[in-house]
Amino acid sequence: MRLTQSTKSVRIMAACLLATLWAGSHDALATVPEVPRYENTNVILISLQCLRPDHLGTYGYARKTSENIDALGKESIVFDNAISQANLTPVAQMSVLTSQYPRVNGMVSFEVNPGQVSENTLPSILKYYGYTTAATISSPEFFMRYDTGTGTVVNPGDVFSKSFDYYGRTRRGLGGRSIRKVPAEALQWLTENKDKKFFLWIASGLIHMPYAAAVPEPLRKMYDPAKYTPFWKHLPLPKSESAGSDDPSYEVFSRVFRNNFYLGFAPVYHLSADDINYVNARYDAGVYYTDRFVGEVMKLVDSLKLTQKTLVVLQSIHGEDLGEQGNFFHYDVTDTVIKNALMMRFPEGEFAGKRMKEQVQGIDIMPTVLNYLDIPAPHEAQGKSLLPFLKGEEKTAPNEFAYIDRLPWWEYTLSQWYLDFKNAQGDYFIASEKEKLTAYQKLLKERFDKLDAPPGDIAIRTNEWKLVLRKNKELLDEVSWWNFISGKKHQIDTIELYDLGKDPLEKVNVATAHPDIVSKLQGKLITWDTSVEQQKTIFKKESKHLIIPYP
Amino acid sequence: MHSHPPTHLLHRLGLALTLSAGLCLASTAWAANTNTESSIKSNLPLKYKDYNVVLVSFDAMQAKHVHALGYKKEITPTIDAMAKDGFNFTQAISVASWTVPASMSWFTGVYPSEHRLLNKFAVYNPPVEKIANLKELAPSIVTLAEILKSNGYATGGFTGDAGVNGVFGYKQGFDVYMDDVKFGDLEQSVPRALTWLQDKKDKKFFLFLHGYDSHGQCIPQEGLDRRFVDPAYKGKYTGAKSEQEALREEGLANGSIKLSDEDVAFWRAIYDEKINRADGRFKKFIDGMEKLGLKDKTLFVLTADHGTEVYEHKRFDHGFSLYDELIHIPLVIKLPERNLSGTITSQVSSIDVMPTILDLLDVPMPDNAKNQLRGVSLAPAMRGEAINQDAFSETDYRLYTFKRSIRTPDGWKFIYTMESKNKELYNLTADPNETKNLIAEESRRAYELEQKLFAHFKSIGHDLTKETWRTGLSPVYPSQAKGWKKK
Repeated sequence: MRLTQSTKSVRIMAACLLATLWAGSHDALATVPEVPRYENTNVILISLQCLRPDHLGTYGYARKTSENIDALGKESIVFDNAISQANLTPVAQMSVLTSQYPRVNGMVSFEVNPGQVSENTLPSILKYYGYTTAATISSPEFFMRYDTGTGTVVNPGDVFSKSFDYYGRTRRGLGGRSIRKVPAEALQWLTENKDKKFFLWIASGLIHMPYAAAVPEPLRKMYDPAKYTPFWKHLPLPKSESAGSDDPSYEVFSRVFRNNFYLGFAPVYHLSADDINYVNARYDAGVYYTDRFVGEVMKLVDSLKLTQKTLVVLQSIHGEDLGEQGNFFHYDVTDTVIKNALMMRFPEGEFAGKRMKEQVQGIDIMPTVLNYLDIPAPHEAQGKSLLPFLKGEEKTAPNEFAYIDRLPWWEYTLSQWYLDFKNAQGDYFIASEKEKLTAYQKLLKERFDKLDAPPGDIAIRTNEWKLVLRKNKELLDEVSWWNFISGKKHQIDTIELYDLGKDPLEKVNVATAHPDIVSKLQGKLITWDTSVEQQKTIFKKESKHLIIPYP
Repeated sequence: MHSHPPTHLLHRLGLALTLSAGLCLASTAWAANTNTESSIKSNLPLKYKDYNVVLVSFDAMQAKHVHALGYKKEITPTIDAMAKDGFNFTQAISVASWTVPASMSWFTGVYPSEHRLLNKFAVYNPPVEKIANLKELAPSIVTLAEILKSNGYATGGFTGDAGVNGVFGYKQGFDVYMDDVKFGDLEQSVPRALTWLQDKKDKKFFLFLHGYDSHGQCIPQEGLDRRFVDPAYKGKYTGAKSEQEALREEGLANGSIKLSDEDVAFWRAIYDEKINRADGRFKKFIDGMEKLGLKDKTLFVLTADHGTEVYEHKRFDHGFSLYDELIHIPLVIKLPERNLSGTITSQVSSIDVMPTILDLLDVPMPDNAKNQLRGVSLAPAMRGEAINQDAFSETDYRLYTFKRSIRTPDGWKFIYTMESKNKELYNLTADPNETKNLIAEESRRAYELEQKLFAHFKSIGHDLTKETWRTGLSPVYPSQAKGWKKK
């Protein structure tokens, strides 16, 4: 069949807009062109630090912590197995924003500087398509910088602020209360910019330690067990600001290993169930208060009549250990730490009420959002859009295997600045600890200075198994924080295999019992690791570091 | 035929399938702009079963220096006359910017990334030196000469050696292949070709004629007569091969060279002389064919493998970039009937040459290579149909650089340098000399073209994100290997 030139021109134009060029059927091509979604769809990305999915009603939590997120979940597709690419905030979140594994996008530690990471991020791409981009943030990991040269906190913008037209941050409250508040500025920004086509990133650090520090009374204590006094109040702690507080803080819980509290390199206290309940209560108060804020945002979105034209993605940046294995914080790659809450509410209610059990990764979020908006994903993207699977166009979910970097080792972060930073803030160690601490810091610096990049471990996960490979076990043995604080060497296995079905808390390493599974997963993991190493962004060591601090 | 486009068309027309609707916004204008002034009725079959075909490569002939393509000086009367009597494709783009990779795409219908003739050496690690060869690098690829030979054609190649030496696989499928005069010109290949044609009066044939006449490393045997050089030129240059080589190497080493306006005018005049001589020598070939009574039974495809740079981007020679002075080439298809002619301004690619020749000769691809061809037949364009396609180009020249580009039919070019991830975007309509990189100003267009470029290479089996791009040394000229040291 031959068409006249003008007919054909129109046909081609229509076909372009439909993205079904030469589909073979002329009838299909005659359909009225649709407007690509990026023309009129807003995006709100809500990123919450340290949020454990199993502490939300949506994921089965008994305590009523999350009525607003649960309501959002009912209007969304909920992902039951969303896996973070790393256990630390800036590393994990850069993977979300670039759809690349950490070593590929270059965000391998807290001292990576702007210009050292991939340039195509979700906000930068949306800006190409005419979006106004804004961020309102209360996670200092995304905006603060500690200058190791002068020992002061500076604020030169950050790796994360690139391509944002507006980049808002929280500041310390009255009496020096935590900077990790709810980023309430989001409400004002939304109200003032509701008529623009926008991408709004709301990142909250409120759930992060010190737990509930920014939650006002009486909500802070809403779940506290009756007549409980925090155990550290009875212990001769160094006189730092956190020690005198009720808030479960890193200063206290970095001394807890296998539920023993260490002071002067000896276990001086064993945590009871009451202690752990208290910590969880304060953690949950943070979840509750964060949920209330999410509710306010969603209510505002509704009242501004944005619901029908706004894609809302809510994600945990990573989870948290809350004493299940005797540890707290997010030191390793246990499921408690790397399994995330993730839900997406599409403007026209697509997939609402659905749940996806198949594993997804943090790197899938960006391609999924772009795919929905009719924007091509960047070729650098390593994640996959989940839409073809959700629509049933693809039969197999894209992530039988998820890959996690434990990067950098926390000890590396300690060595680069954290210990200096904390020491500068106040008494963090008792007198009898200081000599060994100096030697420990010296050891860390010596060992890590020899490396050309921050050290890490790697892990592979399916919905049934997780295999963790300690890439440099001898060095980890030598520099381990737990070994240091407890004053003795704990066994670290080079390979750990966990049966997530039978042992979801990953307490028993079953590697020797399942050589076949170890061999298969290890092969996959090494293949992935090799390809990541080939594509990695070269880490540039700089003598003067600007660090993202952990205040 | 062509009631609906074949699947390979999807590569260049239909990437929108895998990308988004947004990608097409840039491409909507062209459909209306398409301009094919064709003298023929669109229902003509354009089939020339058992006709002869002559493919001529004027090596390194920049499109801008051809009068039929707008050059002010009439230095190409023979080519111009055939362009007038035949189909003159004014926006023909080569798949590569130097001889070795570019020429093989005429004979294979696949991109250089696929035929793998990316450099002179497949391995260069002295004492291990392995010359690139089609049979070894892409054993399943069938060549145009092989197909025509198996369809009863006599096949003869008459070339200037060097980049089209038979050793690379260029002689694959040819009964006779002349490659014994290094950087030879048409003065040498034309007589040999005409001798071969003596007994072809009653036998159909495919003849590949090639000469380095316009190339920097080719000087006429009788010397240059400086016919277009300003007599007042007082500069130091004489037009020698060694000077061109030195300018090329200096440009590569330093990123640019510095020449005065007078020097540039001098070199352009030398280039004009060489092109003019090429045209004159080609006339001898046409006259010879006429004498043999073959001209009217023959389809002619006149083209160049690439252009050359005469200081447009402050360098000399070719291979190292993908700017238009290197990839915009002349393409003329002269059919036997005198009254079938036209000017086709739609963008086409050298990847289309092989499918066009097979279509015109009505020779099918063999069963074992049905899906080989990446280009499209240009016969529909010659019948007046709009064909507007992206043109993809690439170069891994000497391992000095790895560049990939997409040139859109509506006049945009995006160039990606693999080793540095450097990106360039040019608006060819407003800035035909490609001087203003619009990456920042046209960020969305650049982003979309980048995705389209990578999607194209992925669709032909080359995921650029999965390859490593390390520059090194893979010499083309012996002088470059001097002082080679193993790292």
